[in-house]
Amino acid sequence: MIDYDALLNTASTMGLRMLESGAEAYRVEDSLQRLCRAYGADSCEIFAIPSLLIVSLCDPEGHSHTRVRRLYRRGTNLWQVDQLNSLCRAVCQGTPPFPEVDGSLARLAEAKGYSPLLQLAGFAFVAAFFTLLFKGTAADALCSLVAGAVIFFAKYPMERHRANSFFVNGACSFLAALTAIAGVRLGVGQNLDKIIIGAFMGLVPGVAITNFMRDVLEGDLFAGITKLTESLLTATALALGAGIALSLLGGAA
Amino acid sequence: MMEIFTGLLLPCFYAVMACVAFCLVLNHHGKLMVVSSLGGGVGWAACLLCAFTGSDIVQYFAGAVAVAAYAEVMARLMKAPATGFLVVGILPFVPGGGIYYTMEYCLSGDTELFLTTGIHTFGVAGAVAVGILLVSSITRLLREGRAPKNRHLGGEK
Repeated sequence: MIDYDALLNTASTMGLRMLESGAEAYRVEDSLQRLCRAYGADSCEIFAIPSLLIVSLCDPEGHSHTRVRRLYRRGTNLWQVDQLNSLCRAVCQGTPPFPEVDGSLARLAEAKGYSPLLQLAGFAFVAAFFTLLFKGTAADALCSLVAGAVIFFAKYPMERHRANSFFVNGACSFLAALTAIAGVRLGVGQNLDKIIIGAFMGLVPGVAITNFMRDVLEGDLFAGITKLTESLLTATALALGAGIALSLLGGAA
Repeated sequence: MMEIFTGLLLPCFYAVMACVAFCLVLNHHGKLMVVSSLGGGVGWAACLLCAFTGSDIVQYFAGAVAVAAYAEVMARLMKAPATGFLVVGILPFVPGGGIYYTMEYCLSGDTELFLTTGIHTFGVAGAVAVGILLVSSITRLLREGRAPKNRHLGGEK
C-alpha cells in the first residue's frame, strides 16, 4: 500500500523546486509522472506552469489526493536543475523511503550557489566579452566591465528585497547606460552602443526565450505564453531603462 | 592565417568566455559549465561560417541550430538536462543589439528605422527560436519510442 499523502508531498516539493530553478514545464511534468509511477501510483495527473503546480493522484478506492503549489519567485539555477534531475532519476530507480528523499531535497535547497563576488565577476565579464564580441575596442570592454559590475550591485540588493523583475531590469539597464555614458564622456570608451549592448547581455531574456520554445514544442502553450510575455516585458524594461538614461543625457554627443 | 585568427577564432573565444561568465550568473558548475560554454563557441563559429549568405537571419538560424544540436548530443553524453547546455550556448544569439538599436531609433524619432529594426529584431529572435525548435523536434522524433505513453505528442494533448 502506497502512502499517497507522503508521495504527494514529496513529489510536489520536488516539482516546485524544479520550477523555481527554471526547469521547463514539460520536464517537471515528465519527471513527476515517472516518480509517481515508480512508487506504484498509476493514475496521476500533473499540471505545471511557471507560477503553479498541481499534482493529483487517484488511489485504488477512487479517492483523489491533490496538492496545489503556488510559485511566487522564479530564478535560473542550472546546478539545481541538474541535481534535481539526477535525484529524480535515482529515486525512480531505487524508490527509497520518502523521508530519505525529503532529506535529499532539503539538503539540495540549502546548497549555496556561487559567492556574490563570483557573481559580480560573472556580470562584469559577460558585459566585457560581449562588447568585444560585437566588435567593441578594449577600452569599450573596460567601460562595459564597469557597467556590468554596476548591474550586479543594483540587481543583487533589489532581488533580496523582492522588487518586481520589470523594475529591476529597467533600473539595472538605466544605471548601466548611465555608466556607459559616463565612460564615453570621460574619454575612456568610444562606442556607446557597443558598451550598452554588452552590458545588456547579462540581463537579456535568453533563458525565457529558450524555454518558451521548448515548452511550446511540447504542447505546453500556457507555460510557453507566460515565458514569451516575460521575455517581451524584460526586453521592454531594458529598452525603457537605457532609453530614459539616453534621453536625459542626450547620449554621447 | 591571421585572418582566420582575428575573424574566426578570436570571436569564438570571446563567445566562450562570455558564456563562462554567464554560467557564474546562472549557477552552472564544474564540467557542465565548461562543456556548455564551449557550445556558445561552436554556435558562434557556425554563425560566422554562414557569413557568405549575407543575411544575419540565416546566420543566427545556423548558429542556433548548431548550439541546439550540440546541446542535445552533450545532454546524452553527459546525462544532464539539455536545457542547461542550450540556455548558456544560446546567449550570444539573443538580439540584445536589436533591442538597443530599436530603442535608439525610437528615441531619435526615426519611425521608419524604428519599425524596420524592431521587425528585424523579431525576425532574428524568431530565427533563433525556429532553430531550437527544429533540432528539438528532430531529436524528439528519434527518441519517441522511449517516451512515456501517457504523454501524447503534438497538438492533441
